[in-house]
Amino acid sequence: MKTRTILKILHVLSWVIFIGVCIEAGGSIFSAFYTLVINPVNASTFWEGNDLSALYKYDPGHFFAETSLISIAAVLKACIFYLVIKMLHDKKLSLSQPFNNEVRLFILKVSYLTFGIALFTWWGVNYTGWLVSQGVKMPDTQHLRLGGADVWLFMGVTLFVIAQIFKRGIEIQTENELTV
Amino acid sequence: MPIIVNLDVMMAKRKMSLNELSEKVDLTLANLSILKTGKAKAVRFSTLEAICKALNCQPGDILEFVD
Repeated sequence: MKTRTILKILHVLSWVIFIGVCIEAGGSIFSAFYTLVINPVNASTFWEGNDLSALYKYDPGHFFAETSLISIAAVLKACIFYLVIKMLHDKKLSLSQPFNNEVRLFILKVSYLTFGIALFTWWGVNYTGWLVSQGVKMPDTQHLRLGGADVWLFMGVTLFVIAQIFKRGIEIQTENELTV
Repeated sequence: MPIIVNLDVMMAKRKMSLNELSEKVDLTLANLSILKTGKAKAVRFSTLEAICKALNCQPGDILEFVD
């Protein structure tokens, strides 16, 4: 399959994933807001059916902190796919000159966002663990979309290394272009 | 960069235009312009040889080291 075709398929897939993660982020933010400001009963059917009523009863402040961590991680995921879509839409990915500064910055930004997700999900998992140790009945961290902090961290490090390799690639490409 | 390219000086001495040199050394005008303006990062020996042959000069006449 040609690279252009693969990129077109990836563009469509990125849009689908972007819409999905935006709904997830918006849903968890709205659900937290609705529970905290309008109707606390909503805590029992928090986003995707997670029952956080025990946490809300324990302390609304902890409920706010926990839902903030879930929402931040979801927003960061949406940001990653926004960058992917922007990259593919603006056609900055030149196949004739793949090593360019835009691509390097894109990889670097995605790696930073991935580090951010790793940090917030790790924090969320530890926080949930602490709440469980306090006797609060909490749903599984996988259901709260807080699992896999180690995988996010691994992905962040890998992308950061690739960004550094790209930097050297750009230097070599520029040198090659300026060789007469 | 402390290496100065004196290609324009040699071209003026030989009364040769950039187009003429480009045809003689089989290099594009864009590449010759990069060399002439000192933007080049590297010069191939084959290019240097062709330029020296076309301008009837030594590599030292084209390249100069300034500290």
